[in-house]
Amino acid sequence: MKILVCLKQVPHQDARLDIDGAGTWIKEDGIKFEINSYDTFALEEALRIKDAGEAEVVVVSIGPDRVTQALRTALGMGADRAIHVKDAEIDGSDTLGIAKVLAAVAKEESPDLVLMGLMSDDGNASAVPPMMAELMGVPSATAVMKATPEGDGYRCERELEGGALEVVDLAKPCLIAVQSGLNQVRYASLKGIMAAKKKPMDTKSAGDLGLSGVVGAAGAKAQIEKIYAPVRGEGAEIIEGSTDEVVTQLVGKIKELGLL
Amino acid sequence: MDFRFDEDQEMLQATVREFLQGEVTPEAVRALWETDTGRSPELWKQLAEIGVPGLLVPEEHGGMGLCEEEMVLLIEEAGRAALAEPVISTAAIAVPLLNQIGGSLASEWLPKIAAGEAIAAVGHPVSPFVEDAHVADLLLLPDHGGALHAVTRDAAEVQIQPANDPSRRIASVEFEASAETRIADGDEASRLFAATLDRGALACAAGALGVCDRLIRLAAEYASERKQFGKPIGSFQAVKHMLANVKVKLEYARPLVQRAAHSVAHHAAARDVHVSMAKLAACEAATLGAKTALQAHGAIGYTWEQDLHLWMRRAWSLDHAWGRSSFHLGRVREALFAGALPIGPGTTFSGDA
Repeated sequence: MKILVCLKQVPHQDARLDIDGAGTWIKEDGIKFEINSYDTFALEEALRIKDAGEAEVVVVSIGPDRVTQALRTALGMGADRAIHVKDAEIDGSDTLGIAKVLAAVAKEESPDLVLMGLMSDDGNASAVPPMMAELMGVPSATAVMKATPEGDGYRCERELEGGALEVVDLAKPCLIAVQSGLNQVRYASLKGIMAAKKKPMDTKSAGDLGLSGVVGAAGAKAQIEKIYAPVRGEGAEIIEGSTDEVVTQLVGKIKELGLL
Repeated sequence: MDFRFDEDQEMLQATVREFLQGEVTPEAVRALWETDTGRSPELWKQLAEIGVPGLLVPEEHGGMGLCEEEMVLLIEEAGRAALAEPVISTAAIAVPLLNQIGGSLASEWLPKIAAGEAIAAVGHPVSPFVEDAHVADLLLLPDHGGALHAVTRDAAEVQIQPANDPSRRIASVEFEASAETRIADGDEASRLFAATLDRGALACAAGALGVCDRLIRLAAEYASERKQFGKPIGSFQAVKHMLANVKVKLEYARPLVQRAAHSVAHHAAARDVHVSMAKLAACEAATLGAKTALQAHGAIGYTWEQDLHLWMRRAWSLDHAWGRSSFHLGRVREALFAGALPIGPGTTFSGDA
């Protein structure tokens, strides 16, 4: 069995983010990056399947040289091989462009299962998994909280609004986009990090995947117009006085708004 | 000398940092203070799973076969997290000593240590107490005649002693020295103890770097939040400059620790002086960090609930462990007066490969 895990490298959760000069992305110089938290759950799920039996875990990520660190971390955690898609031509791709690249990698690898996070910590679009599944022509499920082997596929429990769960059966090959908290993600071991040096990491370009001229900013149907920090709103009222006075006024305001 | 770490070394450090950030919170450190041993067998096992105790254990014994250059990075992280587990006493001191001793003792204990199944602690004439002796399965101890002995804990009388740092557990250890327990004596024992002292002091220096960094961050965070005269106190020069002074000391100490690690790992002739320079600089930075962080916090810094204690006490205990500053100053002074060290601007690292 072969499992393809799609990883995105995103700014570290503790990184200070400043908007770049063009106002369409952040300044990436000097900040730390990490594996998208949702994707770490997908990787852990793949490694658990591997631990339970015969499976090859292949990780793929798109981006500049720094992305190799995320891939090496994944190899250090136990993945068998890595594919780094690196090509300036891919820069500026929208979610469809990214899905095309990942689907092209999946076409070459023919995995039985594709695992990825429901969304990315930075983009928050949640668009790539269903797009990729559509391009691959395989069934998919998103926001998966639990996936168990069932027949020739997987039974997935999807998280819905209001705490409800939906159960769907997917026949292999299939794509599962996992929700966070699906499992307890393991740490990479120091031995694993050192062993990762000897594991294969292939580098591919858009041309290698037959996507030259198809992906990137030129082919993007959606473009980032502007990103900005929310403007601090006006109209906040600070209620002052003793605790009794503050509570009385606060309750009055709430009633005034018809909330009580 | 090129002090840059390669990608592998940086990833090793980042891996340990991520693990400790997730597993060793200040609350977890405080919780261990309330236990009899002050140590967590579960955490030690987890550390073994990611490879920390076996970092210096040769590969044939189940370890990673790396050297002090990597070890100082891990110990810096341990200091940053205020980790209480016996990483210094076992992984950084006992393991290389066992490597040096070799033979059946090493073959028996190194695989157990790498697997997280055994803890070892080392005594030294420089200190009357042995850190982590109360949880050690193997004790490597000096006798009154300068010989080195190996005894199991059940063959020794271990008496816990009070320590300023609740995470630090030190003990006086009595044992019956015999021909069976003796590992080395004479010049051979002196050589082993000298190397052990250098490794112990180097480990303290590395830990002090992490402690100092954490103290600066704690103080800077507090100074950014605490307001006086309508402004964060960190915006006042009197506060920001004193914190910057600690940061300068820390960054000046860091290359000395890295150079000392290189010297120990490669058996440089001047390794003892390099270690002393590193210990002096790193512990000076850490103790200044403790003093400054306390001053930045003001009265609240004295409260038991403030986490500042975790790192202040660690700074003070590292400063006193494996040779006090007077001892290390003495080693540097002797080297200077003997003409073994170049003096003047730009000479600190001259002669280093």
